[in-house]
Amino acid sequence: MLSALIWIPILGALIVGLLPGSIADKNVRRVAIVTISIALVVSLYVVTQFDTITTGLQFQEDLPWLEPLGLTYRLGLDGLSLPLIVLNCFLTLIALFSTSVTVHRPRLYYSLVLVINAAVAGAFLAHNLLLFFLFYELELIPLYLLIAIWGGARRGYASTKFLIYTAVSGILILIAFLGLTWLSGATSFEYNPALSQTLPLTSQFILLGAILIGFGIKIPLFPLHTWLPDAHVEASTPISVLLAGVLLKLGTYGLLRFGLQLFPQAWAVLAPYLAIWAVVSVLFGAFTAIAQTDMKKMVAYSSVGHMGFILLAAAAATPLSLLGCVFQMVSHGLISALLFALVGVVYAKTGTRDITILKGLLTPERGLPIVGSLMILGVMASAGIPGMVGFISEFLIFRGSFTVFPVQTLLSMIGTGLTAVYFLLLVNRTFFGRLPDQFANLPDVSWSERVPSLIVAALIVLLGLQPSWLVHWTETTTTAMLSDYSTIATPIEFDPISVLPLE
Amino acid sequence: MQQFLIESSWWIPCYGLLGAVLTLPWSIGIIRRTGPRPAAYLNVLTTVLALLHGTALFTTVWGQEPQHFAFHWLQAADLDLTFSLELSSISVGAVELITGLSLCAQVFALGYLEKDWALARFFGLMGFFEGAMSGLVISDSLFLTYALLEMLTLSTYLLVGFWYAQPLVVTAARDAFLTKRVGDVLLLMGVVALSAMSGSLDFPGLYDWAEKAELSPTVAALLGLALISGPIGKCAQFPLHLWLDEAMEGPNPASILRNSVVVGCGAYVLIKLQPIISLSPVASTALVTLGTMTAIGASLVSLAQIDIKRALSHSTSAYLGLVFIAVGIGWTDFAYILLFAHAIAKALLFMSTGSIIMTTSCQDITEMGGLWSKMPATTTAFLTGCAGLVGLFPLGGFWALQRGINDFWYDEPWLIVVILAVNALTALSLTRVYRLVFMGEVQPKTRRAPEVPWLMAVPMVSLSVFTLTVPLILNTLNVIPDFEFFNWSAAGLLIMSGITGTALGFAITLNYAWIRPIQAPLRFFQDLLAYDFYVDRLYRVSVVLIVNAIAHFSSWFDHYIVDGVVNFVGLASIFSGETLKYSSSGRSQAYMLTILLVVGLLGALLTWSMW
Repeated sequence: MLSALIWIPILGALIVGLLPGSIADKNVRRVAIVTISIALVVSLYVVTQFDTITTGLQFQEDLPWLEPLGLTYRLGLDGLSLPLIVLNCFLTLIALFSTSVTVHRPRLYYSLVLVINAAVAGAFLAHNLLLFFLFYELELIPLYLLIAIWGGARRGYASTKFLIYTAVSGILILIAFLGLTWLSGATSFEYNPALSQTLPLTSQFILLGAILIGFGIKIPLFPLHTWLPDAHVEASTPISVLLAGVLLKLGTYGLLRFGLQLFPQAWAVLAPYLAIWAVVSVLFGAFTAIAQTDMKKMVAYSSVGHMGFILLAAAAATPLSLLGCVFQMVSHGLISALLFALVGVVYAKTGTRDITILKGLLTPERGLPIVGSLMILGVMASAGIPGMVGFISEFLIFRGSFTVFPVQTLLSMIGTGLTAVYFLLLVNRTFFGRLPDQFANLPDVSWSERVPSLIVAALIVLLGLQPSWLVHWTETTTTAMLSDYSTIATPIEFDPISVLPLE
Repeated sequence: MQQFLIESSWWIPCYGLLGAVLTLPWSIGIIRRTGPRPAAYLNVLTTVLALLHGTALFTTVWGQEPQHFAFHWLQAADLDLTFSLELSSISVGAVELITGLSLCAQVFALGYLEKDWALARFFGLMGFFEGAMSGLVISDSLFLTYALLEMLTLSTYLLVGFWYAQPLVVTAARDAFLTKRVGDVLLLMGVVALSAMSGSLDFPGLYDWAEKAELSPTVAALLGLALISGPIGKCAQFPLHLWLDEAMEGPNPASILRNSVVVGCGAYVLIKLQPIISLSPVASTALVTLGTMTAIGASLVSLAQIDIKRALSHSTSAYLGLVFIAVGIGWTDFAYILLFAHAIAKALLFMSTGSIIMTTSCQDITEMGGLWSKMPATTTAFLTGCAGLVGLFPLGGFWALQRGINDFWYDEPWLIVVILAVNALTALSLTRVYRLVFMGEVQPKTRRAPEVPWLMAVPMVSLSVFTLTVPLILNTLNVIPDFEFFNWSAAGLLIMSGITGTALGFAITLNYAWIRPIQAPLRFFQDLLAYDFYVDRLYRVSVVLIVNAIAHFSSWFDHYIVDGVVNFVGLASIFSGETLKYSSSGRSQAYMLTILLVVGLLGALLTWSMW
């Protein structure tokens, strides 16, 4: 069942790539869309079959592969991967829909997108360290090509930067995995949380450090983030949607799965510093976003800020904050996908993303009123206005982290306030005001361009009103993650860096 | 029947939201044939439904113990978010007030915005507004209250930004959202902290917790200050008061609600939070201090405004300042009565203002004059509103303010001075506006000034009549004291202050040529008040400048330091490669020598410990 999620897109990629040239580009696109739709249906079927009470892995698949290397094909699913798997298929579909019908070299393009989908699904499902690494690297090359071929003017710079950064991240993660396995004397790369406890604390720190920097690049966290704005600015709209919506989640997923779960002891000691790092990242992302004039850069920096919340919650490691992590991953995926899709429409219609030039786009008839309304919804969701999924995830994170790191949580909350500042500037400058003459004859927005955003927006509101649907799938797993964590992490006492005098 | 009404009470806020959703086909342009009017009618209909439902509920809960109704929304780990509703005569009465005023404002808007192409959007937002407010007053959970406050922030932003093509509107909407958002984020900090400390976010649970809580003074003070900052933003109190004045750029029917019930909602939340705020004397003192500053300051500022709506909106801030004082001292009944009387009178004043603006297409009171004979209904409404607002016996404002003076009589006599001053200054300001707009010479803009159409006149006249019946309602609610216990000196002082203000208002010379006085000292004071003590400029050179500076610094840091290092590493590697390539000379002796040297060095390093 889980293999289907990986191999259906791969198969689709092969078919799309090898389709004869006589077949119209339109049909190539259709094949890709059908492939991902099947994958989405399968993932939804998995959701219905998922047992919410069991704490362990479900739908396990275990095939021997390269036994001497310790590499097995071991897949499994729990409440942490489940929402991300669905999100992956859903956002890939959205990305395909928001791809222009007349994209160049469609066969290569669509097959690369399908490979990314497969690789990400594989990474979320893999329960062998080496297998995870393989999938993690597999996603890198197609994305490099997608930026380098279909990107903007400085695509060479941006894609190379992305490639080098992510390759370094991959190397660090591999180092950590190898170190963990070899130092603990394990024979295979099975995912085993108990492994690290045999190690002295110093080696745990070094390995966790490698994991943190490796995934910190992917998330991205300050100061490892500089590849992200460049990659977003140069990537085409659907690729930005994928990058922000799904690929960044690999980083946070890795942080939880391979940081918190594999190195609980070291994690518990480092947690206060991680929380401070999170605060720095949140505030840096938010402040830098205020000064941006490119809409895509602004959204990219907002990602830096919002992903910092996840580090904060992961550092706090309370049942509620971990739930908040998963929530924030889903909500950030949806919201940033929506924002990038809308920015893409604005760019396609006006030819610019500069908020000092754009003005008055909300004007009906001649402007982009529906895109503008959706943009307002998107930025409000991002700023954490209740009724949308951004609010509940932030509330869970803050409420969950407050008991452990009160000061850091309060400082991070300033970040939400600042989110309102920069996104309000964006909306006010680009959509309010009088439509200048240079934009008086904008091309019409077709419904096919609006529908992806409309669907994402509907989902944002729906999950905002009914968060318990998501909680239902995840809660058991996050609680179980923590019961392991707390039994391992408690023996080490550490002085809290900052504690509000609560009593 | 009673049980059914209580269990269906959650429908009341939904009517407004439903109305808002129903306008979507018209506001996004799916239905164009009919024009936007059906959307407006649908909204009026849902508001009427909400009003009827509220009335039925009110008759049920009247005189009863508060009824509670709850449903679980989200349960996760140790967090239990419950939407609980409290149905008491006060909360359902507030719903009645909100839906009633919303109905009036919506009918008024049908006339006021008759020619506006975005009528459907406006009614959608009004429905949203009404839904959020009526949910807020019956909410019994701090979480729900917070969520609805944020929705009010959002809908205020959208309503102020309704005519988004005008530059002033754009900045007004931005300021409205950001100032309220500052308060909301601080409130959220308080909510998160409270939730973590008390474990419950229902008001009864919080009250229980507050009775037993033993907090250190610092924590209590921080908590209290965080909790009051949300209402400070909502009620336009110093230092988050700038938005209300700017928000007057929005359409007038929305201003009717904003100045009466929306600010009231902020104060309502404050009253609900009072037992927790009173844990800390610092927060209570802050409430009284800020309330006093705003009450006096805003009353003075309203004297120098030439925009008719702004003059009134500053007096809203002033009255809400009195409410803050009342909550700070702990006299919540005074706060409730004042909110009630103020809401009705202010709504009426804003309706008559709307009529004036509609007829003259102008908001500048220095360009008006002589309207009293041309617009009798509007004049009557304005005068009734004034009478209901200031302490004029026997209308609502009198009983409210009299109650306040009575409450503070023994414990806090200096606050009586504040109340009297606000009353006198309000009377003075209203008299000034009245003289400039309705009396005096007819000016070009007021020459052709017919009375407004019936869609605007009907709600205005009905609300005038209603304002006159406020004392009867207060009597039914048993808040008017018996004559034996009546504090005659308080009443006397109050009436005297009102008369003084009015007399001053009539005595000052309102020379049109003198709008900018020539005398430097007078001019200085006028500018100081007209520009709201220059607070916005102060913010521009403080908060805004600091945030901007940090933003540009971090952007610079990102671009030149973080990214610079990365690019430098890249450049360095390319450069070193480019340089090193010249070392491949092709001479094998040189290669051999290099290999020998390096291997030797390596060997030396590896065997270092053995030496």
